[in-house]
Amino acid sequence: MDKKDMTLIGIAILICVVICVLSPYLASGDPDGLEKSAEDSGLAEDFSVEEIKGIPDAIFPDYAFADNPDSQPLQIVALVIGAIITLVLGYAVAEVVKNRN
Amino acid sequence: MHIPDGFIPIAQCLVYYVILIVALYFAVKWARSNLDEKRIPLLAVLAAGIFAIMSMNMPIPFGTSGHMVGGALVAIVFLAPEAAVLVFTVVLLIQALIFGDGGITALGANVLNMAIIGGFVGLYTFKGLNGIIGKYPAAGVAAWLATVIAALACAIEMAIAGTFPINIGIPSMVLYHFFIGIIEAVLTVIVLAALDKFRPDLLAWNKGDA
Repeated sequence: MDKKDMTLIGIAILICVVICVLSPYLASGDPDGLEKSAEDSGLAEDFSVEEIKGIPDAIFPDYAFADNPDSQPLQIVALVIGAIITLVLGYAVAEVVKNRN
Repeated sequence: MHIPDGFIPIAQCLVYYVILIVALYFAVKWARSNLDEKRIPLLAVLAAGIFAIMSMNMPIPFGTSGHMVGGALVAIVFLAPEAAVLVFTVVLLIQALIFGDGGITALGANVLNMAIIGGFVGLYTFKGLNGIIGKYPAAGVAAWLATVIAALACAIEMAIAGTFPINIGIPSMVLYHFFIGIIEAVLTVIVLAALDKFRPDLLAWNKGDA
């Protein structure tokens, strides 16, 4: 990886961290388009909760720590962890499937 | 538009998983001949950036919110919807498994909407309009249309699933994503312009394949 790519990754991480820091404070808590459409059609908000058994609980449900879901600093931590995992897994997948010629 | 677990019956989820597997076959095939070493960091940072931006729900009218998706962006950056399939399989898998955002059972449907439909509609709208209105307006319209068509597809899937009726699902989904698509268009154009300014070598459209 050359210097330009290190810069690209560095700036991308910086942008991701800024978004992750702002998101818990700025992001709208209103339902998204799909949730709102579900409400429009009379579906309860917790429609999915009891429907399927055997699905493991998320480690960070709704991008928060399960035992302290309202802590915004912890939401930032969860988001940053997620962004780093995504970066690493994205890189790893790309390495595996890349053009080797 | 992350479909959660429970919105689609398992039998139908399996159909979407078959579509996902076929799409991944083509995506890997594309990568084997087109994903050069030098564009691996780009693919990785797009995945991370899309993960982050999806947490930033912005308010739209009707007490609703929405965030950028990025399927059109990835497809336009690489001039290949296959790249969007790779990126979104990674992002949506992590969101479903670790954050409970989007269902594990609905992974196939979510990749279908955001990456396959979003990527194809985004890329081919861009290609169709590029020569007529210029690359940035074309990318903006492409990103907007990708969002709306993906939402329409999602509404149809919800109707097939019996989760919500088509006469409510289609107008609701299209109306909300009409506005969410504007967010998508603005951010897609900003990211493309930034890449074109600072790393033009990474954009496939600068290789003359557009």
